[in-house]
Amino acid sequence: MSASTSSAAGPSLATGPGRISDFTSSIRIRLREPARLRNVELPLLLFAIGLSIGAMALVQLGAQGQFDEGMLALPAALGGLALVGHIILRVTAPGADPFLLPIATVLNGIGIAEISRLDIAKPRLGWEALAVKQVVFSAIAMILAFIVLAAFRNIRVLSRYRYIAMFVGIALLLLPMAFKPINGAQVWVTIGGINFQPGELAKIALAVFFAGYLVTARDSLSIIGRRLGPLQFPRARDLGPILIVWVVAMGVLVVQRDLGTSLLYFGLFLVMIYVATARLSWVVLGMTLFIGGALIASQTLGYVNGRFVTWLDAFSNAQYTADRGSYQVVQGLFGLADGGLIGTGLGQGRPDIVPVAESDFIIPSLGEELGLIGLFAILGLYLLMVSRGLRIGHLGDDDFGRLLGVGLSFVIALQTFIVVGGVTRVIPLTGLTTPFLAAGGSSLVANWIIVALLLRLSDGIRPARFPGGLQ
Amino acid sequence: MSDLVLLVLRIGFLLLLWVFVFAIVYALRSDLFGQRARKKDGAAAASPFPSSPMSAAPVAAAGAASAVTAPVSSAPSTPPPTGGRPGANTARRLVITSGPREGTELELPGEQLAIGRSSESGLVIRDDYTSTHHARLMLWNDQWVVQDLDSTNGTFLDGQRVTLPTPVPLDTPVTIGQTTFELRR
Repeated sequence: MSASTSSAAGPSLATGPGRISDFTSSIRIRLREPARLRNVELPLLLFAIGLSIGAMALVQLGAQGQFDEGMLALPAALGGLALVGHIILRVTAPGADPFLLPIATVLNGIGIAEISRLDIAKPRLGWEALAVKQVVFSAIAMILAFIVLAAFRNIRVLSRYRYIAMFVGIALLLLPMAFKPINGAQVWVTIGGINFQPGELAKIALAVFFAGYLVTARDSLSIIGRRLGPLQFPRARDLGPILIVWVVAMGVLVVQRDLGTSLLYFGLFLVMIYVATARLSWVVLGMTLFIGGALIASQTLGYVNGRFVTWLDAFSNAQYTADRGSYQVVQGLFGLADGGLIGTGLGQGRPDIVPVAESDFIIPSLGEELGLIGLFAILGLYLLMVSRGLRIGHLGDDDFGRLLGVGLSFVIALQTFIVVGGVTRVIPLTGLTTPFLAAGGSSLVANWIIVALLLRLSDGIRPARFPGGLQ
Repeated sequence: MSDLVLLVLRIGFLLLLWVFVFAIVYALRSDLFGQRARKKDGAAAASPFPSSPMSAAPVAAAGAASAVTAPVSSAPSTPPPTGGRPGANTARRLVITSGPREGTELELPGEQLAIGRSSESGLVIRDDYTSTHHARLMLWNDQWVVQDLDSTNGTFLDGQRVTLPTPVPLDTPVTIGQTTFELRR
């Protein structure tokens, strides 16, 4: 024992001077830029809350010609919770991205306003009103997200539980099999009268698993087997994982009769493997597999075939009048056409003609009442949100966080594309929810947790590397 | 409530929605179009070589040293500091033998050299395959040692991926991303 070890800190100094130095340097950075990003977030968040309340007020004015102050409490409650989130961010993640929370809040608020507009048209009152339920679900989702934000100070911990995440994801996917299908798709769990779509949460678990798995497997998956023209194909023995994911995706398609979920999971895996290995051949291979599988399914499975026919032949009279035909999608298109460039105005259209306008068809409802201009603003908000997520992934410090950031933000992008593409007849209509806008608790919970994870990831990025564009 | 007021309100709402979108775009403008402040010191650190290698390189290296040398110099595992007097067989120069900046030379600093995409690095390599803090060269017992800092695409010494801090012999190619360099006396 020499004199240098006489202090209590001696041993730790001897083993980890690097760590202590890293620690102090990060403190220095924190002090230099106290809460600059949060000070950018606050005005944007207040703006977002104002827009949510304004949308609700316009719905009231347009549909009823008068204010119902009670209804304005719904977006106000959402805004209050968002402000709580802002304070939590100030305390636990001052370096987090300043744009995600305002964007998610405004999308959620516009969704509540439009759902409330459909409530007025039906009419659904009191606790029957879907907008009230949506606010309750938003509150639950945001509180869960804040718990995730405060509990997971280090996302990297999640990579240790990648196989647990895999089993959780698969279990969540299989869970609805034990319950009876709703609207033909077996993706629901009904407990005590509350319907829940566990597949929504499965996408987070699977993104965690894919990220953890690909970090360890990327090297072998990047090895080039055979060249075919400009593409470098992987070795046959490395095809195992993609085939397994393909089988799972096809299983979801065949057994649960849910094309959208199947496409979402497979697309997520493809993008993450592409980001991990930088080999375009994986994408080509995967797209070929999926399109091949989907084409075979469309020929053999009545349900998938029906979706394809309603997509390609939507305007034929036979399809329009058929049971489970194209009535819904065509009415949505009529609504969009009626909205035109600037829309009919919130509360002044007839979005309620479309069946289930508040969940699957919230985009045509908004398109009808806000017009092309409003719809593009909403799509622009999604674009900004996804671009922030991809940037968080791009700038991340560790491979797991980078892959997870890319995967989570891509899930939002792909889901938005599948929904908007479905209702505008770009791709066959599938039963997915529009993130943050559509009525549905499970979707809100999943997407708010995704936002929380992205916020946590962005806080871990050193400020020198993550200026946030705010200099 | 007259129709005219409603019309004004609903167009106002659309306008505000777009103002919100553009407020966010404005706030992250330097992300999209680059930052003036960052560009300036980025340029200084990124291209010290072509114009005046001798003058600019030590500046960049000094920046890197202040950022990361502290732990190394105080670490007990480090051999006694060699000061500024490396042995006869110690490399003094770093020569880029292939890559975008092929042919450039850099005087090695006293103790260590950070390599990566970060503008704090002593040797800035900016390509798709380089991590922000990719690797570092350290002087241990008069011998330069390369350590991979958990980079995404790896550091290769004579074609072998470096996992542990590995001594770099003279005139042996070290590959980072698309850049290969050698240490010379």
